[in-house]
Amino acid sequence: MLTIKRILFGSLITLLLSISQGAIAVEKEYALKAGFLFNFARYGEWNNHANTASSFTLCSPDNSFISVSRSILKGRKVNNLPIENVEVSLTETNLAQCNILFITTDTLESWQQLNNKYLADVMIVGETDNFIEQGGHIRFFLSGGKIRFEVSPDKLKLSGITMSSKVLRLGRVVNN
Amino acid sequence: MKLSPALLYLFMLISPWVVAEESLSDLDLDLDSLMAMDVQVTSAMKRTQSAFETASSIYVLTKEQITRSGVTSVPEALKMVPGLAVRQLDNNQWAISSRGVASRFSSKLLVMIDGQSLYTPEFAAVYWETLNVPLYDIERIEIIRGQGGLLWGSNATNGVINIITKNSIDTRGLYADVSSGSQLNVDTNLRYGGDIGNNGSFRVYGHVKDGQTSDKGIKMAPADFTEQQSAGVRFDFTPNDQWSGLIQGDITQSTLGQNFNGVVDSSNRNISFTGSLDRTDARIMARLENRISPSANQMLQTSWLKQSGEQTYIQEEFESFDLDYQINFLYQDLQFDWGLNYRYNAISFAQSTFIQSGGGFDNLQQYGTLAQAQYNVIADKLDFIVGVKVDHNDLTGWESQPLARLVWKPQNNQVVWLSVSKSVLVPSLLMFNDNYIIDGQRVEEVSPITTGIPEIDRYYIRTYLNGNNKVKSEKSVSYEMGYRLSDTTWALDLSVYHTDTDNVAVIEIDPNIDQFIPVFTMLQAGQIDAAVQALTTTSINFNLVSNAGLTTEGGDVVLSWQPVDNFTAEVGYSYNTFNYDLVDNTFPAIGYDSTSRQLFTKADIHFFEQHNIFASLRVENSDAYRTDNYTALDITWNWAFQPNWAFAIMGKNLFAGTHLEYGNHGETYTQSTFIDESVTFKITAKF
Repeated sequence: MLTIKRILFGSLITLLLSISQGAIAVEKEYALKAGFLFNFARYGEWNNHANTASSFTLCSPDNSFISVSRSILKGRKVNNLPIENVEVSLTETNLAQCNILFITTDTLESWQQLNNKYLADVMIVGETDNFIEQGGHIRFFLSGGKIRFEVSPDKLKLSGITMSSKVLRLGRVVNN
Repeated sequence: MKLSPALLYLFMLISPWVVAEESLSDLDLDLDSLMAMDVQVTSAMKRTQSAFETASSIYVLTKEQITRSGVTSVPEALKMVPGLAVRQLDNNQWAISSRGVASRFSSKLLVMIDGQSLYTPEFAAVYWETLNVPLYDIERIEIIRGQGGLLWGSNATNGVINIITKNSIDTRGLYADVSSGSQLNVDTNLRYGGDIGNNGSFRVYGHVKDGQTSDKGIKMAPADFTEQQSAGVRFDFTPNDQWSGLIQGDITQSTLGQNFNGVVDSSNRNISFTGSLDRTDARIMARLENRISPSANQMLQTSWLKQSGEQTYIQEEFESFDLDYQINFLYQDLQFDWGLNYRYNAISFAQSTFIQSGGGFDNLQQYGTLAQAQYNVIADKLDFIVGVKVDHNDLTGWESQPLARLVWKPQNNQVVWLSVSKSVLVPSLLMFNDNYIIDGQRVEEVSPITTGIPEIDRYYIRTYLNGNNKVKSEKSVSYEMGYRLSDTTWALDLSVYHTDTDNVAVIEIDPNIDQFIPVFTMLQAGQIDAAVQALTTTSINFNLVSNAGLTTEGGDVVLSWQPVDNFTAEVGYSYNTFNYDLVDNTFPAIGYDSTSRQLFTKADIHFFEQHNIFASLRVENSDAYRTDNYTALDITWNWAFQPNWAFAIMGKNLFAGTHLEYGNHGETYTQSTFIDESVTFKITAKF
């Protein structure tokens, strides 16, 4: 028993010095956030959505997020349209194809460099502090280890999107 | 118990179901379930990460089961858990345990609200009757049967019940309900929750209950009325994604009627009384959580508990302060949990007519550390877990509780787990410190000679139940094994166990024959009156001694089935045996050799959008409680007749009629009553 204890305590110190971000861990957070985005798509209404659209497009400049969301949302549909997961670079022409744009912590900088943050008919979701003030509509945050979100229905409306009250009730509504 | 290799092979063979998907791809994308999931891959403090992969016998009571079943208290909710012995003494008091005989004052069960322990070291028990947790704001209740609770705390020999309440961000808005029925005058709840700026949220709640007495008593008319008022508050703060905190508190004031026994005069016999118990229970806790990285987190929790109780012959005060720190992290294939804990208990127990405190303890301290490592031997297939908890307490000094476990996933939807663990139960202060006057013994029962003189032979000698500081901690070694299978529409959860316990406290009779010699001398001299007078100075001692062995074994199986979204059914069976190994001249203090069997069925049907029926049927077959076997049906119909309003009718203890659930009166001074069938109506509003 003593030997086990010595090994356990020994490895604790080593490990405390070298805590790394496990790949699975990041994947889990992104997987859950992809799930939330899927629900935002299901419960949101894009007022100017073209009837001719052949897919629902989820965009992010972060390729590690897109690869997770691609596997999580595989085979899922929004209003009978298949979901397309697209890694985009943040230019106005590129973003026109998106229904939802997710800006991760790692890609915030390129978002901040974008001049015109008003994108008609695109739901803009982020996960960093003050993201709604920086032009977003919805912001993920963590509370007690679980994902929660802030949402600005007014800003969504300006972009031509209405969110169902079912989702608004679960989030923290901010109006500014 | 030997885990037979044949049994292992059998488990290996049962694997025709092939689900070769990655676990994250199976993610339930329903918004409610996403909101319930932890982002951390490391387990949060005192919560399980995945019930499916936990290497202990765990059952999770969901918030849906709690609200749809129409239960009105936590102990009532626990009646729905297969493998828990939940026995109602009267309309207020309960005896609850798992893997053993439930007793009101010795349950060996660790009960927590959000990680705050409610264990009373005086009795090794929990005052269920004054435990107020608003049921509509419970996230879930995790129940671990057996000693699986290393990470959860001490004194969890028979199990852990962890009540996890909702984050206040999820309880914003107004909630109100009012119930009334055949046993209940009124039970009403009110809660309001909201945001605090952009970084926090809160809720405040209140609860008032006014309950009637039962219809039928054993010796006396029932007196078990309830008058209870509670108020509480919870704040949650999330300044950023790395830090979050919560503070919560509750105060409950109760006046509960009861019938009880006590020896209060020179008859030396138990006399029955009707009285009431006034209790004030207050608790407050604060927790700070820090997310170091997605695979590492740490938590600091501090809490304070104050309980004061006053009844005719007992005045007690109990305070407890807890400080816990825990860090969990994952490094490559190794998950590591490490924690520190400190507990200070202040206990004051006024001397009374029939209780005397001899040991001079007015406070108890406990401190310790735990470490657990889980190593992933074969990726996604095989995990090996070792852990140890070492702590020090004032009564028995240093104690250590090691464990080793193996979790094997032959397929993604199947888990086989094995566990060997040692656990320690520190004696309660009652066993260590106190002397009780109990129902007297007749001379003819204890004396080797009878005199033929009725005044002498039928005289009741004053009898004491004595705790003493030679009582040792009970040490249990438990071998457990389980198997889980989860298919698209059904799931199976099976566990078996064998536990050997040493140093079990039992009662040794010390008749102290020498003290009777003068009495016999007087008798021989024909001085009968003087002899009777001399008898009044004699006493018999029932002394607690730690020299018995106890073997408990059995198992639980739960099969759940969900063929469609709006229908869930569950069948469970539980079998437990309890056997003492006693030396001569001793008898058990808690429970006696017995076998308990339970059969459960539950059904939850949602229909016509607004309607829900939840039914649970329990067959209790046990010789451990000096009662008849009984079968009870609880059924609740919920009708959400408006988006914000719902109406419910709850029928409880149907079929069972007026029945007795607990008859071990030697273990408690409370006299139980017959438990009635009841019908309750409830209106709920949510805005």
